[in-house]
Amino acid sequence: MAVPLSQMYTVAKYVLTQRLKGVKRYPLVLMLEPLFRCNLACAGCGKIQYPDHVLDKRLTPEQCWAAAEECSAPMVSIPGGEPLIHPEMPDIVRGLVARKKYIYLCTNAILLERKLDDYTPSKYLTFSIHMDGLREEHDLAVCRDGVYDVAVKAIRAALKRGFRVTTNTTLFDDANPERVRTFFDEMMELGVEGMMISPGYSYQKAPDQKNFLKRNRTRDLFARILHDRKRTWRFNQSPLFLEFLMGKRDYQCTPWGNPTYNIFGWQKPCYLLQDGYTKTFHDLLNDTEWDRYGTGRNEKCADCMVHCGYEASAVEDTFGSWSGFGRTVKATLLPNAR
Amino acid sequence: MTDDKYRAPESMTLEGRVFCPATLAELIEAVEQAFDYRGDVMLELTSGVKVEGYVFNRYPSGPRPFLQLFPKQEPGTIEISYADITAITFTGKDTASGKSWEAWVAKKESQRRAEADQAEAAAKARGHL
Repeated sequence: MAVPLSQMYTVAKYVLTQRLKGVKRYPLVLMLEPLFRCNLACAGCGKIQYPDHVLDKRLTPEQCWAAAEECSAPMVSIPGGEPLIHPEMPDIVRGLVARKKYIYLCTNAILLERKLDDYTPSKYLTFSIHMDGLREEHDLAVCRDGVYDVAVKAIRAALKRGFRVTTNTTLFDDANPERVRTFFDEMMELGVEGMMISPGYSYQKAPDQKNFLKRNRTRDLFARILHDRKRTWRFNQSPLFLEFLMGKRDYQCTPWGNPTYNIFGWQKPCYLLQDGYTKTFHDLLNDTEWDRYGTGRNEKCADCMVHCGYEASAVEDTFGSWSGFGRTVKATLLPNAR
Repeated sequence: MTDDKYRAPESMTLEGRVFCPATLAELIEAVEQAFDYRGDVMLELTSGVKVEGYVFNRYPSGPRPFLQLFPKQEPGTIEISYADITAITFTGKDTASGKSWEAWVAKKESQRRAEADQAEAAAKARGHL
């Protein structure tokens, strides 16, 4: 099983509680960005494109904990920049674990083996290792030779020490489906708990909104990657989200499902777009003009199929009705059913 | 995760440009450009003061439109009313220029290698490797 039962129970209980309360917009995963400084300069990465004095800024542990409490999402993803660069990251993680948040610390793993002693294995803490494919593809994507091998070594070390480890992979429509499938085999052989995949965000000025050609190419890619899925592959994601990627179902985005908090504040409207910031999570929910965003509503959203907007949509589908729950069970037990 | 690679064609950078808005509409547009810009800008105010920093937020509507900025040389944040701004100069390096996925793909291997080596050296110098 990709995710521990306690986590599945916690998330299910949380979602059902929100639905019973009639809450229309609720967060599922807090995207907590404590810094933007990174020790890589991956091709096209927009997250590090800031002047040095901005890259040197950090959220304090107290700010991180306050954001988690304010948001009350059961899960916290910590991307960046590179979170392991943050000198107080062990404190941040300790505080989030104490608050019983399920943490996905996203890292390129360059510093991981060196810093493992600063962390304690816990069912609440998962190291989510950025791996964009096999050695050749990954080192090309991160613009540095040898990173794949460093990451594999770190994964082995973390697993040996009893840490939960997953991978996160971004794929663009120039990815080779067969090599991606081989990559899945290698990650499972390493012993990771599960894999997370997502198409990359792509924004074209004046995209073909009518025909969504780019979206169709993305669906075609993931259909080729995920068809005839092997039983040995474990994905740390909703099976309905995977079907969405394959074009088997369609969703509208749920940007409030993965709210983002960083040195600028609470980011409107989502993890990828930066259309301003609010001081409080409450203001984010109430002041954001949500109807201005989403496929068909905003040119910047036209080609987007990223997990941070659509995973929550899939979860909402699962818990929104008995038929949604049934679809999820079927997709879990029979992933290759047509 | 490199999940936010912008695949849009490279547009001209605003680096070095100066905006002296003559109308409220021009001012709003100029501040919007400053907000989108991934580098520092210099704001000239009606008081004669010049403030340089990174514009990270703006509130263009309401009775008192204002922006928020990280000053380049000081800690904390500063709020500046739109009404106080007379000119905006894009003084800082455009950190997004030439950094799109398309631009990376179009670069020669030697140029990619040189940029990658530069990034690695900078990370080592900071002790982040």
